[in-house]
Amino acid sequence: MTRSLAVTLNALGLLGIALVLAAAFAAQLALGELPCPLCLLQRIQFALLAVGPILNVRFGPRPSHYALSLLVAAAGAAFAMRQVLLHIAPGDPGYGSALFGFHYYTWAFIGFAAAIVLIAAMLLFDRQFKDEADAPPIPTDAFAHADAFAHIAVWLVIGLTALNVLSTLLECGFAACADNPLTYELLKRGA
Amino acid sequence: MEFTALFLAVTIAMLVAWRGSRTAALALFAATLLASVATYLHHATDALKLSF
Repeated sequence: MTRSLAVTLNALGLLGIALVLAAAFAAQLALGELPCPLCLLQRIQFALLAVGPILNVRFGPRPSHYALSLLVAAAGAAFAMRQVLLHIAPGDPGYGSALFGFHYYTWAFIGFAAAIVLIAAMLLFDRQFKDEADAPPIPTDAFAHADAFAHIAVWLVIGLTALNVLSTLLECGFAACADNPLTYELLKRGA
Repeated sequence: MEFTALFLAVTIAMLVAWRGSRTAALALFAATLLASVATYLHHATDALKLSF
């Protein structure tokens, strides 16, 4: 796998993360279901998962960048599994609505587990970490060389994370978030 | 409030990773990951309110 292919795959990974964040937003807005504190923590891990690929796109693929994503994916999987276990008892309807038979935290666990497998698969290809013989040396800051697709993917994921700052501020206000949030705290106070 | 701060920290870490120095991005990333794990552990000791 060449460096450029690895960078493109990292940009695709960023689009995947953006898709997850957008889907969570869509469920929040369309169904009116506000994310619980543990749900927010899982969203934060999905957003944090993007830092490794952003570094790979900008500075070129490095094992340390993939390691960052592996650490986050492991933490996210642990958080999601805790929520699965909280609702595993018979008769428990779970938190929120289900999508294709699984609740969002179950999908989150599957997503983090898939991320771990995909990152491990990416790490199998050593050639991405070497300078290509006939290519010019990769500059320390390859920002200017990232293509338009990568730029769009990066800004999309940054924009969606920034929107989550606003959404969470509206939901929780300046106090601790409710265990089972039903309304946006800041909008309630303003009404 | 802590979740808003965590999302803000992730946004800043991403912006620094894209436009700032690599070392600063790594430091911000580590601080944010540690803070999110600490937040999880803090809430993990709450009394459980199961939904049944």
